[in-house]
Amino acid sequence: MDRQDRRRINPPSGGTAPPLFASAIALAGASQFKRPIRSRKPDELRKIFLQTGLVPSASGSAYLELQSPSPSGTHDLVSSKSSLKLTCSVHGPKPLPRSAPFSPHLVLTTHVKFAPFAARQRRGYIRDSSERDLGVHLETALRGAIIGERWPKSGVDVIITILEGEEDRWWGDEVGGGTKGIGGAGWGLMTVLAGCITCASAAIVDAGIDCVDMVSGGVAALLPAPERSEKGKGKDVQETTVVLDPCPSEHQEIQAVCVVAYLQGRDEITELWVKGNAGDAAAAIVDNAVRAAVASKAVLTEAVKEAAELKFSVESGRPQEHPKGSRDLEMSG
Amino acid sequence: MAATSTTANAPSALTFPREIFAALQPRQYLLAHLSPASKSQTSVRPNGRKPTEFRKLSVNTDSLTHCNGSAVVRMGNTAVVCGVRGEILLARDVPNPPTISTNDEDNDRDELARLGLLVPNVELSTGSNPSHIPGQAPSGLAQSLASRLLQLLSTTGLVASKDLRIWYQPIIEQEPEVGSEPEIIAYWTLYLDILYISLDGAALDAAWLAMLAALRSVKLPKAWWDPDMEAIICSDSIADAKALSLRGLPIPAGFAVFDETPEGVEDTTQEKGWILADPDQFEEEHCREHISVVVDMSGDAANSIRAIDKRGGSFVDVEKMRTIVDLTQQRWKECKDVLDAQST
Repeated sequence: MDRQDRRRINPPSGGTAPPLFASAIALAGASQFKRPIRSRKPDELRKIFLQTGLVPSASGSAYLELQSPSPSGTHDLVSSKSSLKLTCSVHGPKPLPRSAPFSPHLVLTTHVKFAPFAARQRRGYIRDSSERDLGVHLETALRGAIIGERWPKSGVDVIITILEGEEDRWWGDEVGGGTKGIGGAGWGLMTVLAGCITCASAAIVDAGIDCVDMVSGGVAALLPAPERSEKGKGKDVQETTVVLDPCPSEHQEIQAVCVVAYLQGRDEITELWVKGNAGDAAAAIVDNAVRAAVASKAVLTEAVKEAAELKFSVESGRPQEHPKGSRDLEMSG
Repeated sequence: MAATSTTANAPSALTFPREIFAALQPRQYLLAHLSPASKSQTSVRPNGRKPTEFRKLSVNTDSLTHCNGSAVVRMGNTAVVCGVRGEILLARDVPNPPTISTNDEDNDRDELARLGLLVPNVELSTGSNPSHIPGQAPSGLAQSLASRLLQLLSTTGLVASKDLRIWYQPIIEQEPEVGSEPEIIAYWTLYLDILYISLDGAALDAAWLAMLAALRSVKLPKAWWDPDMEAIICSDSIADAKALSLRGLPIPAGFAVFDETPEGVEDTTQEKGWILADPDQFEEEHCREHISVVVDMSGDAANSIRAIDKRGGSFVDVEKMRTIVDLTQQRWKECKDVLDAQST
């Protein structure tokens, strides 16, 4: 965390620590908390809530929320649920500043930022490397969809704020230190990226920027075979499973995760990111991530259609498109 | 020099759509809206509100998972999220610990300020407004908002420092029955992070209301010092958690004054200015005089003003200021109802 930032109000110089909960210490022994269990089918996505037009001053905006089906535990102070809430706003296209060099196409800038309260650990206000990395991935995903040649000498800013991020692993693993797999870190970012892509796509459509197709994000994870008894292990072939839209806190171990940004109409992948050891199943998880993207595309289409219907019913239905009591004005002289 | 299109009969007049008029001649545009066409009509602002009409407030608390308390506040097109998070500051990490007198109200404020236990911060560059694009240092507005919120917290004494102390009574091995003086082993530090989802004027009001609603929803876990682990341990049971005992309910209201004498009109009887309650961004930009009043009617109604801030212009005199305070007091009641509806 930025310890001394003269433009912000700083925490006490002594430094503060997040609270340590009694149950977390007890957890190492008998687990009184249950790891959330995936109650969905392997190919079933979490419910996506997507709405456009949140920020009137932006040219386009959208809000996305993944609702986690597992109910929160009885211990409310240490919530075991993990969800994703993010907003995206698009500013532009607008002319580039005079100082910028000539660009024959639209200059796309993406900013991804976690809110300080987005995760269990408080985050700072200055973008860190993982946030910048997410921004780069998002930019690649969107660039393939936008027809940039139509806006020479202009720029557009896509700004994402993550109000609540997916967790990288179950919090019990974090305090227990019993994480397996590679570092256990970074799985949550994959789901966040898929959400960012879908949400940004909705905001870009809301802004009316021409695209070849609506791009949507999808995630799939490769889970290792459940552990067998020592005897059976030798002869059994390891069977891995692939799940769509994984919630990292629901799985003890994840072998690999794949995110795609997919253009359904063209059957094109604009962004592909595989993390972990996918092995032979690499093609399978990419295919499954595409399936997840197709599913989220359906939600995206629905949200965009809904917004468009609302817009056009207002425009064509009644001439009263301005707030009550407003009048047309005339300027003379 | 403007009239409604229905009464227009001068053929030479140029007509523009609203947006273009607003962009070309913003002050004329505002004036044309505010000047009633006839004596019987009341003036209406471009956003359709009456001059002293506030936007509807809506509050939603406890929607964030990883916060001790949180709130989303919406006033028209301004939407703000505030998350309050408690972290622990060990007393031994404080360089010069202040002396504590348990009943002294004034010392209480001093203690909070010296320890810096309240850390409000404001983030505007969340895409909330085209003028705040991320990637730059916090703008002047963001810095001034954060500092004003901290000042308001300190002058209103909203948070009591007794809620933030964590006590420990060491047990002396030789004489366990005697017991020693309890000491403060640690403090809760409250991080108040305020993010604008969408900004359309009245930034301070929305931020404060979000912070107030979030603080009202805070549940701080029960914490104690564990001498064996040499750490503060918190109970995760919601039954043990405590809400903050906030002092009063200070609520701010922002006003902008639009004053303009139309050129060529020498009619002194015509009112020259309008007090616009809860201005949106367009109005804020084109008004020279800004007033912000904080009132708290939960105690003595006659002694309810907590802060008045007036910048620029000279339209508002004592009499008008009185009207403004009255309006703020009415607004206080509205806001209280909305906040109370949330907390039950």
